Amino acid sequence: MKTRLALTLALAALSLGLSGLARADDSLFTSKEGIEHADGASIYTHICQGCHMPGGLGAIGAGHYPKLAGDPKLSSWQYAAFTVLNGRNGMPPFGLPPDQVWETRTVHLSDEQVADVVNYIRTHFGNNDGEAITAAQVKALPHPSAPPAQD
Amino acid sequence: MTRRELFKMIGMAAGGAAMYQAMSTLGYAAESPFKGPIDLSGAPKGASVLILGSGVAGMTAAYELRNAGYKVQILEYNNRPGGRNWSIRGGDSYTELGGYTQHCEFDKGLYINPGPWRIPYHHRGLLHYCKILGVPIEAFFQINYNAYLHSSKAFGGKPQRYREIKADYQGHVAELLSKATRQHSLDDAISKEDAEKLLESLRSWGALDKDFKYGKNLTSSERRGYEKDPGGGLTAVPIPSQPMGLSDVLDSGLWQGIPSGDNYDMQTALFQPVGGMGRIGEAFGRELGSVIRYNSKVTKIEQSERGVTATYVDTATGATHSASADWCLCTIPLPVLAQIPMNVGQKMAAAISAVPYASAIKVGLQFKRRFWEEDDHIYGGISYTDLPITNIGYPNCDYHSPGKGVLLGAYIWGLNAMEFTAMTPPERVMKAVEYGSQIHPQYKQEFDNGVAVAWHRSPFTMGCYGMWSSDARAKHYEDLCRIDGRIALAGEHASYLGGWQEGGVTSALDAIGRIHQRAVAQGSKA
Repeated sequence: MKTRLALTLALAALSLGLSGLARADDSLFTSKEGIEHADGASIYTHICQGCHMPGGLGAIGAGHYPKLAGDPKLSSWQYAAFTVLNGRNGMPPFGLPPDQVWETRTVHLSDEQVADVVNYIRTHFGNNDGEAITAAQVKALPHPSAPPAQD
Repeated sequence: MTRRELFKMIGMAAGGAAMYQAMSTLGYAAESPFKGPIDLSGAPKGASVLILGSGVAGMTAAYELRNAGYKVQILEYNNRPGGRNWSIRGGDSYTELGGYTQHCEFDKGLYINPGPWRIPYHHRGLLHYCKILGVPIEAFFQINYNAYLHSSKAFGGKPQRYREIKADYQGHVAELLSKATRQHSLDDAISKEDAEKLLESLRSWGALDKDFKYGKNLTSSERRGYEKDPGGGLTAVPIPSQPMGLSDVLDSGLWQGIPSGDNYDMQTALFQPVGGMGRIGEAFGRELGSVIRYNSKVTKIEQSERGVTATYVDTATGATHSASADWCLCTIPLPVLAQIPMNVGQKMAAAISAVPYASAIKVGLQFKRRFWEEDDHIYGGISYTDLPITNIGYPNCDYHSPGKGVLLGAYIWGLNAMEFTAMTPPERVMKAVEYGSQIHPQYKQEFDNGVAVAWHRSPFTMGCYGMWSSDARAKHYEDLCRIDGRIALAGEHASYLGGWQEGGVTSALDAIGRIHQRAVAQGSKA
């Protein structure tokens, strides 16, 4: 097993290296505080690629995770940013305020981070979709709403 | 204070796990409504139900409907029954989304439960089916007083025993409160008689001495353990241990781990099936036999006034087929169902798309020997840590067996789960070994092999379980559960027992009860 494990790791590192992706490192692993300074590339490789896969290749099982490489929907930055903020079809929302993420066990990204990861996706995996967006543009989109107070 | 504010406060102080426990404690996680076997008598002759998914919900429904005289068929995506009721054993292979295949190399009899792993005593529906299916159960230990509470930022990173943290926290709090009582600080709040009773109760609860002090003596050592245990013969004399100071306990944050067995879902007694949680799904699968059609990927669900037809692809042959029945009970997890064309009304469709699924990770690690028993004297239960692995779960079975053993090496939610999901399976295993060795240094020497399941990479669920926000539940829950024409949904996502198998059982029984009523009302014309 050890040989196989080492081999698999070597292959994994190799394939990541070949496709020019940052390899997941430890920088975010110690605590929640670590995420606050993560940039688009880091957010993609530490969070998004869990489902959308390295290289934005997507995956197919009983359902599918959309392939981001060459996805024509990414020509709309609003669609991409709205999806990151609000989630879609079981995808967790990343636009909840920091004090509300516990309820759905998800993660808060700032508007700047949402812009940054959208820019990353739209300029990687062979994509070349329009101009970079800013935090101000993301801010203007609908964000997930706060749950009502419970007594 | 509103309930939400309270949760928020607890959440900021103690993190998501404590929050979830608080929610459960305050009645968010309701008791199972299971009241005994369902009565479906009077089924119309020839009436049929098509069930999508052979998890606990789908198979509970199939079992009862078949016994009541309905014609039943299940379509299942996987090549096995059980869904998230699942154990990975030596010799098993698992391919996650992205194509990474793991071959489990555990020794014979050893397993890991990637999904559910414990059954509270009050989950009476699931326990009922264990009983009638002949699945033996054994004790699951949520709390082990000798397991560890660990913070990488406290006590130099050295793990502390649960019993020491609990005894010292409780002892110091009791001493403080008794001091306040004796200094008459509480006179406005309680009567003189009650103050005396309170003092006696604090002495008992906190293991205080005759002067209401918590200190190094045999009384406190009976709770926290001794420096030298009592024995026999000439070396018999016990030596008491030195309690930690209150501020050390508070600063460490380890008090967060004390109530981990106090909430209703985690109270003793809890159970696990002998041989792995997957034994329940396997037993259901044997019982239902050819009712279940495996390797069947549903691609379309269409209802008319007369019945429901599901189109599916045989994943082994690639051939497209269809199956029809008068009614359909669909237990497909929502992230998958949301992508399947299905002609239901806007309300149910909106509900199906409204529930994000949790990110969760479990890692099973096989070691060459059971060092946690041999060296650390931990028999079953769970150690908690602030490291990303969150938990180390010890096997609640096969104690003292001489061979290898399997630990739950990580059980993670939230951000860290997302990050582990983004890794390859071997990387997850390696990380779990690396982090776990900070608690058990034996890891590095004794590690043998491991498997890692990331629920967002599960091809059949695309997530761990439905995370209802209170907002989404208020807007969509009833629309999700109401029958739409001839289609009803069931599964943990259609319950208030989110993430628990009992939610699957009780939602299935509730849904088939309502289908049965309609079928009876329509008679054999159905």
